[in-house]
Amino acid sequence: MLGEILDDLLTSPTTGPCITATRRFPARPAVPAPFPASLDARLAEALRARGIEQLYSHQARCWDLVDKGQHVVVVTPTASGKTLCYNLPVLQALLGAPDARVLYLFPTKALAQDQLAELETLARSLPELRMFTYDGDTPQDARRAVRARANLVLTNPDMLHSGILPHHTKWLNLFQNLRYVVVDELHAYRGVFGSHLANVLRRLKRICAHYGSAPQFVMASATIANPRELAERLIGESVEEVAESGAPTGEKVFLCYNPPVVNPELGIRAPYLGEAARLVARFLRRKIATIAFAQSRLATEVLLSTIKASVADKTGDAGIVRGYRGGYLPTRRRAVEQGLRAGEVLGVVSTSALELGVDIGHLDVAVLAGYPGTIASLWQQAGRAGRRSGPSAAILVATSAPLDQFMAAHPDYLFGTPPEHARVNPDNPFILVNHLKCAAFELPFANGETFGGADVRLHLAALEEEGLLHQAGGRWHWASETYPADHVSLRTVTTDNFLVIDTTARDEKQVKRRQIIAEVDWSSAFATIYPKAIYLIESEPYEVQALHFREDEEKVAYVKRVSVDYFTDAISAKGVWILRHLADHGGRAYRATQGEVLVAEKVVGFKKIKLGTLENVGSGDVELPQQEMQTTAAWLTIDPAILGRVSPSREELVDGLRAVTYLLHHLAPMFLLCDIRDLGSWLGDAAPATTASTVDTQQSTRRRLLEAERFNPTIYLYDSCAGGIGLAERVFEVIPELLARGLEVLRACPCRWGCPSCVGPVNEVGRRAKQTASAILSALRD
Amino acid sequence: MNSLEDLRRVVRRIEHARPPRPRPEPIEALVGGALEETERGPLLIVRREYALDHRHGGAALGSAFAAAPALLGMLTRQGLPAGDARRLLFLDTETTGLAGGTGTYAFLVGAGLVEGDRFVVRQFFMRDLDEEPALLAALAPLVAGAEGLVTYNGSGFDVPLLETRFVLARRRWPELWHLDLLAPARRVWGARFADCRLATLESEVLGLERENDVPGAMIPALYLDYLRRRHPGALPRVFTHNLIDVLSLVALTAWLARALGSPEECALAPEEYAGLGRLWERVDLERSLACYRRSLAQGLAGIEADRVRLRLAWWEKRCARWDAARQLWETAAGAAAFDPRPWEELAKLYEHRRRDFAAARRIVLEAIERADRAEIAERVRRDLGHRLARLERRLAAAR
Repeated sequence: MLGEILDDLLTSPTTGPCITATRRFPARPAVPAPFPASLDARLAEALRARGIEQLYSHQARCWDLVDKGQHVVVVTPTASGKTLCYNLPVLQALLGAPDARVLYLFPTKALAQDQLAELETLARSLPELRMFTYDGDTPQDARRAVRARANLVLTNPDMLHSGILPHHTKWLNLFQNLRYVVVDELHAYRGVFGSHLANVLRRLKRICAHYGSAPQFVMASATIANPRELAERLIGESVEEVAESGAPTGEKVFLCYNPPVVNPELGIRAPYLGEAARLVARFLRRKIATIAFAQSRLATEVLLSTIKASVADKTGDAGIVRGYRGGYLPTRRRAVEQGLRAGEVLGVVSTSALELGVDIGHLDVAVLAGYPGTIASLWQQAGRAGRRSGPSAAILVATSAPLDQFMAAHPDYLFGTPPEHARVNPDNPFILVNHLKCAAFELPFANGETFGGADVRLHLAALEEEGLLHQAGGRWHWASETYPADHVSLRTVTTDNFLVIDTTARDEKQVKRRQIIAEVDWSSAFATIYPKAIYLIESEPYEVQALHFREDEEKVAYVKRVSVDYFTDAISAKGVWILRHLADHGGRAYRATQGEVLVAEKVVGFKKIKLGTLENVGSGDVELPQQEMQTTAAWLTIDPAILGRVSPSREELVDGLRAVTYLLHHLAPMFLLCDIRDLGSWLGDAAPATTASTVDTQQSTRRRLLEAERFNPTIYLYDSCAGGIGLAERVFEVIPELLARGLEVLRACPCRWGCPSCVGPVNEVGRRAKQTASAILSALRD
Repeated sequence: MNSLEDLRRVVRRIEHARPPRPRPEPIEALVGGALEETERGPLLIVRREYALDHRHGGAALGSAFAAAPALLGMLTRQGLPAGDARRLLFLDTETTGLAGGTGTYAFLVGAGLVEGDRFVVRQFFMRDLDEEPALLAALAPLVAGAEGLVTYNGSGFDVPLLETRFVLARRRWPELWHLDLLAPARRVWGARFADCRLATLESEVLGLERENDVPGAMIPALYLDYLRRRHPGALPRVFTHNLIDVLSLVALTAWLARALGSPEECALAPEEYAGLGRLWERVDLERSLACYRRSLAQGLAGIEADRVRLRLAWWEKRCARWDAARQLWETAAGAAAFDPRPWEELAKLYEHRRRDFAAARRIVLEAIERADRAEIAERVRRDLGHRLARLERRLAAAR
């Protein structure tokens, strides 16, 4: 049946031409391996009770390597039985030595809960194993019992960092007998988060050494370019890699779908969300289990509502398809997961939240509404569809963004590019010094002691000068009243969430009852739950009545259930100002600078967009404070004389420069191997930050540039993460290559006046923008 | 003339004419202690001895050690009787922070116990952080030899902290009988004073005023500053602070034991009687109820009086002394602030015991009216509504 629909798609005159590429991945048979001879008979029995008669080859190989005492990282596809790779040796150890202790680390609390449930099923017939999660949700009075009794503790890096390591004496039993540390979803620990984890693990190993244990690490990762290197960087020791999966897979077809051009003159394609919805509905109507991934929370809701409208049965029930994203309450998410596993829910629309190893059973088709930003995510999302036998399919629906259009036009690039490298830098001084404080709090540093191999004598001396450490008896002691882990957050996301409260909810007796219906994190609150916004939850619209955001208030948005046929999209204003120059280079034509900037954003209004047709049907104003962030940036200032030679018209130049900004921003992720959302861009002037810096919308910025006495337009590319994670420095290094690639792309693009694939849609940047951009880039090359 | 070199000479002469700053006296001299050798190196120990009839506040220290073990046991969470009160260790620590965790040091530990006919307080002090092994080595035998500990907020702070220090130094912290005086102090005085800090109890109960005391919050900074500058500064005052804390532990233990054993001798306030009532509840109910009644008889007023009445009524009801219970509920129901509990109890009494549905209905109606006026939680009003509906049904059935 799946085959029939795919044939239809490929041959129909409406959809056939949209499919720009197909790839077929043949089925692979299982490579089985017998239970290892050393496997505890009780464990073998427990496996048989779950219908497992033999292992797959990668599970057996992992067993052997662990048995030899090696650290291991397992990198095999979704649904290949990865968790058994670590659960087997762990359970074996606990059966053989009841005193042994094991620590599991997951990036989220939800995954730890999931894994505990899985372990409990497997261990049902085994002698009592005391397995507990220990995280922010563990009640205070249960914590003591977990510390005293658990021989398997499931937690997350944040809890290990601030709740366990600083109190290691209370975990004496754990640290004295720690046999294994299991780290799952290893690929999640990249960039700043990964660099933090590497240091948390350095601290963990230091504490273990103090108590005389040396745990073995068993890790699992989704496909990335360098899992072994990442694992070795994270734990600071050599690691064996198990990458050959012995699990069987059915045949899989991958299609690349580019929505049809509906306005050739303007280079406008049909909205990709509508196209994606149509595809998903087509599968769902034939009872084919489908997952759709959208690239933002709003896109998830819009996609879900469009799909629901077309799959609703005669009674209007569209419960066979559900939404899933961060912000939903845990109970709602558990219900969706459960429904998918049981088969009651046939389709799910999700953000990348379902990329991780949450157990939702097997699906037949994955529709990716938009390129997810990285090749690794692409395969991770596509991998959510696939069964051990039988065919499956994945379809990438391209948006009109240049990156997506590039992918649609260059399938070889899409299918041939290896997944990204996951990079961490544990010796980043900001991160390292923070963890040295925590480590010194945990145990004094001996003179000459290294930290995960890093020479930290100078760091310790600097901390002593600041009065945080004190040297006595050849050791550096923590000498401050503070609790350093409280001041170090492993993630950039703050935990300060907004609760969304429905004031119109009624209980079963129709008594008014305020009900929490969602959570919104601080960073996205102002753009999603501003007053009068339509907030969608599983495509049900709620209108925001009030947003309480002041420091002394509880962070709450009050909403009421409404019946409307539109959603809202925030209009934000923004500004970027220079705080500090750190380095620069360049020649006659332009100057590239790297430094620190102040980025301020503010939601000033919103557009009302009709569901279904996606046409603009109105607007409104919003009064919210400005949100500011300091970060690192690279910026480009072009010699006014050069610009003058390109065009005498400032208006043309501003349009051209805006086109260049768009182009550079969209191309940079290819050089940096990052997501486009990791970078921000802005065309402004080279103004330094002052107290009176106020934000502008795109239009008013343009006007200001046009009317300014001195014309010094400046293109900024900045780190989206406050403080920066080194992306801006990398942009600064590759600016010459970036400019050259930009010119190539412009010249190769067949459009006439600019399109979303090069400088942006012509109706946004103006008719002469592409030509001007091309002239500017040519002038810079000379 | 005024060349730079000349001026330098002038400056030098001015500066050198000033007498040199005296070197600070070493801390051991300032606090009157001596360096003693431990198995892990030298340690500054300050030793103070008191005769057992030494009065700290109202009572002689010795009266604490004469207390019956069972009375002291009543003050602990587990309720187990103490061993020999003469073998209890009175313990208080001064630390480098209040955050807890492995990076907080106990730099000064005061430990007092009876030796022969003297009460001896030893203060162990680390002159630098590397003297911690010596401090723990000196403290360990005292702890190991004690039959129990007496602290103020020790179960929340001092004891886990010392346990952490012991574990870090690979020592074992023994499981000991522990009397944390904060818990009984809260029961007895929680309602009476704004806070239950030891210093508050000293001035309000023991009649002691500290002079020139160091605020507890400043102590970590004073010590950390001493580590860096090697200047004792205000540290001697920290020793005094710690010493008074230890002595007050003894005095407070004596006060509580005496109040429990012979309250009539103590001229207790009504709030204190109410607190003693709560302490007795687990051990001797009649004595507890007597304390409650006494507190009311002495004019306990306000919310606290209504709390005692409800508590007392609950026990009277358990003992089936219905009239006593009814009177208490009626008084409590008349309180200015509306509390649904006495109303519910009265309604239950009339409905189930006396089977006087009409009277029960009158009570519920009045309660609902007062609940509405007080804008009390919806759940309470709903419960009252259910009760009223049931009474109406029973009345109708009876007719």
